Amino acid sequence: MRRLLHEMNPSLKFLAVTACMLALAFFFNPWTPLMFFLGIVLVQLLFSQTNWKLWSLVMLPFVFGAFGYFWTTLVFGESGDGPVLWTIGMIEITAQKWEHAWSLSLRVLAFSSISLLFAFTTDPVRFIQSLMQQGKLSPKLAFSVLISYQFLPVLKTEFEQLQQAHRLRGPGAKPTPFKRITALRRLLIPLLAGAVRKAERAAFAMEARAFTGAARSHYREIKLGHKDYALLGMFSLVLALSCSAVFWT
Amino acid sequence: MPVLKPIFQLDDFSFRFPESAQPTLHTITLAIYPQERLVITGPSGCGKSTLLYVLNRLYPHNCDGEVSGNVRIFGRISQEYEPGEANRHVATVFQDPDSQFCMPTVEEELAFTLENLQVPREEMPKRIDRILRMTGLDDIRHGVIQNFSGGMKQRIATACALIMEPDCLLLDEPLAHLDPLTAKEFVAWLGQLQQQSGLAIVAVEHKLELWGEFFDREVSLSENGAIQKDQAYTRRNAPFLPKRETAKQPKVLFEARDVSITRASKALLRGASLQLYEGEVMVIAGPNGSGKSTLLKALCGIMKRDSGMISGEFAGFVPQSPEQLFLSKTVEEELSYSGNSSPHDVKDLLEALALNPIAQDHPFSVSHGQKRRVAIGAMLADRRQVLLLDEPTAGQDLKALMELHHQITSRAQDGCALIVVTHDMNFALSIADTICLMKDGRLSAPLEPQELFSSPALLAEHRLYWPEKEESYATSFT
Amino acid sequence: MLKEWKLKEIVLMSLFGVVFGIVYLLFLHIGNLWAGVIGPLAYEWMFGIWFIVSIISMYIIRKPGAAFLPETLAAAIEVMLGNAIGPRLILSGIIQGLGAEAAFALTRYRHFHVGILMLAGASAGVFSFVYGYFLSGYAALDPSFVALMFTLRVASGAIIAGIGGKYIADALLATGSLRGYAIAKAEKGDARA
Repeated sequence: MRRLLHEMNPSLKFLAVTACMLALAFFFNPWTPLMFFLGIVLVQLLFSQTNWKLWSLVMLPFVFGAFGYFWTTLVFGESGDGPVLWTIGMIEITAQKWEHAWSLSLRVLAFSSISLLFAFTTDPVRFIQSLMQQGKLSPKLAFSVLISYQFLPVLKTEFEQLQQAHRLRGPGAKPTPFKRITALRRLLIPLLAGAVRKAERAAFAMEARAFTGAARSHYREIKLGHKDYALLGMFSLVLALSCSAVFWT
Repeated sequence: MPVLKPIFQLDDFSFRFPESAQPTLHTITLAIYPQERLVITGPSGCGKSTLLYVLNRLYPHNCDGEVSGNVRIFGRISQEYEPGEANRHVATVFQDPDSQFCMPTVEEELAFTLENLQVPREEMPKRIDRILRMTGLDDIRHGVIQNFSGGMKQRIATACALIMEPDCLLLDEPLAHLDPLTAKEFVAWLGQLQQQSGLAIVAVEHKLELWGEFFDREVSLSENGAIQKDQAYTRRNAPFLPKRETAKQPKVLFEARDVSITRASKALLRGASLQLYEGEVMVIAGPNGSGKSTLLKALCGIMKRDSGMISGEFAGFVPQSPEQLFLSKTVEEELSYSGNSSPHDVKDLLEALALNPIAQDHPFSVSHGQKRRVAIGAMLADRRQVLLLDEPTAGQDLKALMELHHQITSRAQDGCALIVVTHDMNFALSIADTICLMKDGRLSAPLEPQELFSSPALLAEHRLYWPEKEESYATSFT
Repeated sequence: MLKEWKLKEIVLMSLFGVVFGIVYLLFLHIGNLWAGVIGPLAYEWMFGIWFIVSIISMYIIRKPGAAFLPETLAAAIEVMLGNAIGPRLILSGIIQGLGAEAAFALTRYRHFHVGILMLAGASAGVFSFVYGYFLSGYAALDPSFVALMFTLRVASGAIIAGIGGKYIADALLATGSLRGYAIAKAEKGDARA
């Protein structure tokens, strides 16, 4: 049970997640995103093995963002109709504004929760293989992405080495604030120059192993079965229940 | 003797890159037969890698090169193959172990090759099992490629090439990123595989001393990309490098005492101490991961030490890729970057390091040897009289080694002190005043070079390979 | 779309996508923290950062799709790294990429001077704003505030992505590592003419 979300077909999961987000965009009441957020967290609690400590850490910036949406909507939001709840200085907070503020900030949380569900339960390699097998993604593109993904740790090491080497050179003759910004360019350009050379070598290595981008067989078959559709049903249920908030509030 | 059909047949073949005026390969006529072990040699820039890329059909397609003459692969004109088609029979292992894999694990990487060949899924496990057994890589089937050493990565790359069951294996300087002992082990391993499978091997290589008796034919190209010699291969010894006259003065320039570094509860450096005299050249050697680079970084201050003290002149660091130091758009600006040297001193440095012809070039676009000179110049202009060179010998051919030798000699004569980290014991012997060994973060007391080279136990303990020694044994018995 | 591409161009484009995916993610977190303090306006003036890979990649490779694909990939990488707004971000990537691509398609992929690059950055800004207007519910905000957001975003696209992107690609060209790509050939052509 606790592996269900991890084993779900990644392409289908991606579709489900995207559909949920698009649907949520139509709702401006605070209850729909709130219920959806709670529903998704519950689903993830039940059907996945999530490192919740890490989850909270990643969620934190989005909570900040949600708070930003909350108060800017209160300050800059359209006044709208309805009774004025409070007046703070020049700003009148109407009932509609109040509701919109809650809705927009809770929407940020709802979006974040489903995104994190996807990120925390999806293996990137399986996702790309699934996109190739079910989504008809071009193998040339798919393997280019995989090979780039393999470069991440290499690039990270290179980045650290560059930083160290630059530390040795110091801030230069006349450090100005503007020069500090260009310091980023000084890290980025050598990093990219190295990446360009690696890209070419990698492409040659792939071609030398008879990769043509044409049709291929698959060692690891990513299946699409009943379980996947059942999970899709569950996402739909959470979405439908949240959306029904329109009728009973 | 049966008449064998050649795998490759080049007739009067010439090749020119669109951006260069001169052809890189010049009227090459060459036939390579099954089961041959052939090495292509020549000075750097002579087009030997280009020739290899013509054989596996990566060129001319990938660089829009201009060709004349014919290349036949298995009797068929090269251009008639689809991209990737000829590569089913001609496999390649490249030099950079870090940029030839696209999947996370060994098993998936092997499967990638089989998928390219459209091998049915049911057949794959069988072929993967077989190749893993043949290459002795059974144990690392599910290992993550990124976590392995360079030597292991080259074996994995070879296994991924062999799983295609090719007729010919091309090797593009496969030892360039390996230390000599690992390289020797790789060569022995490859020799066994070749005997089992009977495939032809064509390698581009300049470090022939590491290959022993491996090859049976040598094609050497001249500077202008024409075949100079095509003859039976003879075993090489390590190149002769002149012994440097010592320039060591009695004045202590730099001192480190009990320097320790611990990161993530792992001791990287355990109480390293050393003293450098003016004009001294010290070599530091030891296995990969023993803390050599960490030591250099601690000595020049870019890695913070947890304890210990450092005194004397400032130390400058030249990384294995010298361009990591570069911050400016021209070589001259690079030297004057810190503002610690007057324009006059910068001029003198450009002169002394023979950088004047490239003073206005972009420091990233010059040759590797020039990059290292720019880096040394930048360090000297920053008023760092102690130079720490990290693996400057890795992947360098004889000409580059000679240049490095000259560079170190001149800097020592000027009164700098140098530390050179290297695996190349032949090179170490020719330049070192003293040698320190490193293992598990511990630095030994300085040794006289002769002390080290007369102790096979010490060499073995630090995974060092000294070619002269084995060769002199070999010759004394034959 | 990829028929005309060499494999090395596809890998380069993907690698750009990956590298800038990380750069984007860094700025996303900076932006998120700011947004907590000064609201959505915090993003607007720096929005061009998130269009920059389109400009760099197209300026170097110069083939149809070279703006759209890496932008989409960068967004996908942000998602796969597990720290981002998720699949919604891929959609924004697609839309921003299409915005930049549209400008190049208009000129039939023939011109790559700074004006076109700025136009592409601005166009990415317009596309992304229309999408954001719908998805983030800007409709609920005051029209004059929305107009300010729009102006800032389009200007940021033209300046940070357009000019900044050209600056980075030119600096990369100067290192000599782009030999064999369209940008290097074009430069040689210009020199001859």
